[in-house]
Amino acid sequence: MAGTPRLAELRKWLAGRKIEHVVVLGANGTMGYGSAALFTQAVPKVTFLARSREKAEEGLAAAVKQVRSPTVASRSGVGSYDDDLESAIADADIVFEALTEDLEIKREMFDRVEKARRDDSIVATVTSGLSINQLCDGRSESFRRHFMGLHFFNPPNVIVGTELIAGDDTDPALVDFVEAFSRLRLGREIVRTFDTPAFAGNRVGFKVLNEAAQLAEQLGPVLVDRLVGPYTGRAMTPLATIDLVGWDIHRAIVDNIHQSVSDEAHATLKLPDYMDSLMNQGVMGNKSGGGFFKKEGKARHVLNPATGAYQPEEDIKVPDLPYIEEVAHLHSMGRYREGMRVFLEASGEEAALARKVIAGYISYAFHRVGEATESITEIDMIMGSGFNWAPPSVLVDTLGTAEAVQMIERAGLPVPAALVSAAQAGEPKRFFAEPQVNIGKYFVAGERTRV
Amino acid sequence: MATPEVYVLGGYQTDFARNWTKENKHFSALMREGVRGALEHCQVAPEEVESAHVGNFAAELYCMQGHLGAFFTEVDPAFSGLPTGRHEAACASGSIALLAASAEIEAGRYDLQCVVGIEQMKTVSASQGGAYLGTAAWYDQEAEGVEFPFPKLFGRLGDEYDKRYGLKDEYLAEISRLNYDNAKLNPNAQTRTWYMNKEHALCRTDDNPAVGGRIRIADCSQVTDGVAVVFLASREYAEKWAKGMGQKIEDIPRIKGWGHNTARLRFEDKVEESREAEYVLPHVRSTITNAWKRAGMSDVNDVDGIETHDCFTTSEYMAIDHFGITAPGDSWKAVEAGWLEIDGQHPINPSGGLIGAGHPVGATGVRQLLDGYLQVTGQAGAYQVEGAKNFQTLNIGGSGTTSCSFVIGR
Repeated sequence: MAGTPRLAELRKWLAGRKIEHVVVLGANGTMGYGSAALFTQAVPKVTFLARSREKAEEGLAAAVKQVRSPTVASRSGVGSYDDDLESAIADADIVFEALTEDLEIKREMFDRVEKARRDDSIVATVTSGLSINQLCDGRSESFRRHFMGLHFFNPPNVIVGTELIAGDDTDPALVDFVEAFSRLRLGREIVRTFDTPAFAGNRVGFKVLNEAAQLAEQLGPVLVDRLVGPYTGRAMTPLATIDLVGWDIHRAIVDNIHQSVSDEAHATLKLPDYMDSLMNQGVMGNKSGGGFFKKEGKARHVLNPATGAYQPEEDIKVPDLPYIEEVAHLHSMGRYREGMRVFLEASGEEAALARKVIAGYISYAFHRVGEATESITEIDMIMGSGFNWAPPSVLVDTLGTAEAVQMIERAGLPVPAALVSAAQAGEPKRFFAEPQVNIGKYFVAGERTRV
Repeated sequence: MATPEVYVLGGYQTDFARNWTKENKHFSALMREGVRGALEHCQVAPEEVESAHVGNFAAELYCMQGHLGAFFTEVDPAFSGLPTGRHEAACASGSIALLAASAEIEAGRYDLQCVVGIEQMKTVSASQGGAYLGTAAWYDQEAEGVEFPFPKLFGRLGDEYDKRYGLKDEYLAEISRLNYDNAKLNPNAQTRTWYMNKEHALCRTDDNPAVGGRIRIADCSQVTDGVAVVFLASREYAEKWAKGMGQKIEDIPRIKGWGHNTARLRFEDKVEESREAEYVLPHVRSTITNAWKRAGMSDVNDVDGIETHDCFTTSEYMAIDHFGITAPGDSWKAVEAGWLEIDGQHPINPSGGLIGAGHPVGATGVRQLLDGYLQVTGQAGAYQVEGAKNFQTLNIGGSGTTSCSFVIGR
């Protein structure tokens, strides 16, 4: 990948097409209203459509609350599918689909979109992993040429990492246009991925999250989030992330990957049974009032995955892990390499488990090159700007290539060929290809301690 | 004898969107990342560095930490024993560090200098930080007991323009819009992900609250953590370095000219002094023209772009006519005509400036020179001014009190 295109190139891509009106379908959902709010920054007219006018108004109210700007409301209109869909879509430059993640529901909606749309309008879907080619399968040539995935991450006003996915028939010039529009007008960090299940970010990210959920069954949530905590290169711990995302969304994403592909890490993508049964009892994460963690007044209570019961965090005993404090202390002074060396050399089975998860992340990401993306750079950029995790290449560069290879081998995981050959060459190689990105920001120190 | 030349080998800045307090990081991490980043980017071995100058405004207040020159030695074992020091001139601290370092090169004392501009500000609440910034004014006369004194002082700069020439807020909103738009192209800009458009900048509701007279939130640069680092070198060192990098000495940018003036501290005294003058802040004007003179240039047409000190939209509005882009009082014409856009005839703040890129106070002067370096070497990425050969900075401390300007070019 050539990296970020230059302004002159982006401006060239942007020329010759104006976006005056965006219609958002499913504008009452989280991604719907979040995306619609984002569009109002740069588009004079945004129409929020939902099943009913009331639902659309709820979406607009949520958008106003999310982005405190008068232009969210002043540039927006609302309507229902029954009364307004055809007329709105006939006037739209971009139709942005944000319905529930269900292939059939989306395809039915595209039936109506196809009949109403202008021949030159762009149709984009915010799907987080359904196939772009399947979604437009059987549609007219014009529809397929103008159709693509534009995957914002939640919440779009905060997270700028965005995946752009062309289908087999998408007009490449339109993909360029949407990249330029998203970068220049919406301030997005655009990453192009192939049309593979869950694309790049969620494929790699949810593999790690699900592995953490699997480990929680034995170790408990507190220890897992401590082991795969900020010191390993992330702002938010994995199980707290699943709670924030929602267990149902987590299930939809990992089930999609688990059912659609059989890769070298297949077992880690199987949703733990305890999550399935707890979801049947209504446990959905923060949106249902609790998941792995739950607030009880000021205290944090923690799920026991085996029983489904919660207990106060302070009653939970976890092993003393002084190495984590040592790493955090080194991170707090910006000594990231030294910190990661302490992580590599830490003794005990807990540290070994933490290394296995990180090794799995690196191994899995590098094995997706050629499948989900053209190069590791796209995966690096989406893990950095979409998940706020240390990109896999940053971890390799910080650990050292030979050390990363050894860590992956010791974890019993397949070592990516690119790492093996770089380690064999023996010359220092830098995998992370974005010199403008600070790698230090990914190594969060956690609670700063004085040694 | 001609003054020896001062070359700029490049440098590094941190992502100004970062909150180092949230990352649980100590001030020393900021220093370390900045300097190590610069060493790596410029492929300079730590052993080569001969001296270091640190520009910083108020680490004693924000971080309970002084003696910042000494912190430089913590970055690498090879730095132990180096001559270092810290420079302070409010928001112009970074430029003062650059001036001191370049003077030492001109004097032949050292061949390779590291200049660090650094500030960590998100350690305290907005109002506490606002009070600390008030020490850049005459504190007990202009700032004590005033909430957010600086927006109010720069609001008065707008009022002075209004009184002398007339000023419509829509031009200030447009300046804000442009800086935010440019910031979207800069991967290290603080506000690159923030929601902004001209209508929002013009909005007069609680979504864009007033903080000082006509100054609203959208008119302000924000509280920022960050560090910017550059390496300055003598011709002898630059020639050796260029050879090692496979470049010619002619391709290495140098500081062609500089200007530096300090006006009276209180805003009302400055305005009183300029009552009969052509420019509202005459010392800022002479800083700019002195830089041209030393660079052998005659006016703003000799530079391909400007990184100016838009701590508030009014300070950029002031800079436009002080640079001579328009006649005094006519800055709005350049705004309206689109001349300040990256592909306009006088690009200002392609980086997003202080409003867009961020304003870690002591780092700003160094960040501006670094952006000038990126521009004239064609490395500014999406915010590149095509074909730029010369760039000029304007860095201001206090309410137009200390002003510094550099012309960097090849």
